Amino acid sequence: MKFFQALGKIDRKIIFIILSVVIIIPLLKPFGLISRASSRAEAIFNAVDAIPVGKPLMISIDFDPGSMPELYPMLTAILRHAFAKDVKVVLLGLWITGMGLGEQALETVSHEYNKVYGKDYVFLGWKSGVLPVVLGMGEDIRKAYPADYYGTPLESLPMMANIKNYRDVPFFISLSAGTPGYESWIAYAQSRYGLKIGAGVTAVSAADAYPYLQTGQLTGMLGGMKGASEYEFLVKEKGYSQQSSPASQAMDSQSLAHLLILILIVLGNVGYFFTRKTISKGAK
Amino acid sequence: MNLAHSLWIWVGAFLTFCIFSFLYKDNPLYKFAEHLFVGVSVGYSISISYHNVLYPDLIVPLFKHGQLLNIIPLLFGLCYFARFIPQVSWLIRLPMGLVLGFGAGAAIPATLQASVIKQIQGAVLTPGIFARWDFFLWALISFIGLICTVIYFFFSKERVKSTKFAAEVGIIFLMVGFGASFGYTVMARISLLIGRFQFLLRDWLGIIR
Repeated sequence: MKFFQALGKIDRKIIFIILSVVIIIPLLKPFGLISRASSRAEAIFNAVDAIPVGKPLMISIDFDPGSMPELYPMLTAILRHAFAKDVKVVLLGLWITGMGLGEQALETVSHEYNKVYGKDYVFLGWKSGVLPVVLGMGEDIRKAYPADYYGTPLESLPMMANIKNYRDVPFFISLSAGTPGYESWIAYAQSRYGLKIGAGVTAVSAADAYPYLQTGQLTGMLGGMKGASEYEFLVKEKGYSQQSSPASQAMDSQSLAHLLILILIVLGNVGYFFTRKTISKGAK
Repeated sequence: MNLAHSLWIWVGAFLTFCIFSFLYKDNPLYKFAEHLFVGVSVGYSISISYHNVLYPDLIVPLFKHGQLLNIIPLLFGLCYFARFIPQVSWLIRLPMGLVLGFGAGAAIPATLQASVIKQIQGAVLTPGIFARWDFFLWALISFIGLICTVIYFFFSKERVKSTKFAAEVGIIFLMVGFGASFGYTVMARISLLIGRFQFLLRDWLGIIR
């Protein structure tokens, strides 16, 4: 009985230390657990793959550094896929604090593929107000963004010459950590202009995104770091990139940490089950 | 080991430890990092807002190109600051009314279409689901879950035997939904912790690639 009572009284600092060890060991010595792509990740991959050469993929950075471990690997993997396929990229965002991340990802990945700013990719940046931006781009992107993130007028960027509005965007991906995010794009850009949308979401909001997947409003979905690792897996498998894959490298730690939490939940419940009579007697 | 040469990586590592120190207990280092984060976020947001919105969309057209119509949004924007002057604080109602009116007008039909009508369409059993037995099974389970959950949230009439049973089935579906959300939440929090450890081990200490 004492053992079960002790289970319920484990100091949380001990749990933090065990969890840290369980995460660090696989990062230092990976077990190489196999990560396969889900049909949801494949759907996004296939949609990007199907974009005709010269047409743009539009990506919205609807997250901030707080969600970086989950969504940033998705962004870099998608950029690698697009650049390897010679797909143009238009990057923008609804979260002001995500702009630095977008700029960093573009700088890193564009150098790997020798892509040129203005010709192969454009960074539109952030504008205030969700509705005017999302609805305005449906009429004319220049209405919402007369100039790019660096103040260059869109007219002087060769890539933007044939991109007027959503009709010229075959596929759109929102990397979303909350509101505004993929739901805003579905409500305003898809309902009104028929934009084809995929979403990369944090694991916290993944459960909420499934209904949109089931109705076909979302073409595909990447959920959390696991979703990012699935996309990295696909990009590597097809030979589009051999760069390091932070999300895939983290999957051993993720699996082991989940196992630890499952064990702790079971032990906690077993402890409660055996001591509840003592607790209820004490309460009386 | 290949320690980082960049000062900013060291700053990032120091701030990470400051935040982690909260796991032991609240302390001045944690408070320092927390306040620094808030300050930097606000400063960054103000800077981007000025350079990407205020300057190109208002200052340049109005003061450099002489597009006088831009005075109207400028005045509406300035009305927000009327809050600080009690005599004219009512002026804030003008931009608020505009934003609320435009927001509601645009959001209500769009949200109804995207989140209600489309979802109802998705929940209705259509002939396409009979293509495969597993499609049919999942669609049926989903449909039963929808009906029972809606019944659970119907509070206008006392539950009789049949609706009571349906509401109890609805609770089961709700619990499964909460369980899935909790599982995903655990996954998200672990991912964030892994991200920090990757930063410390790769970017700061250079132990992993």
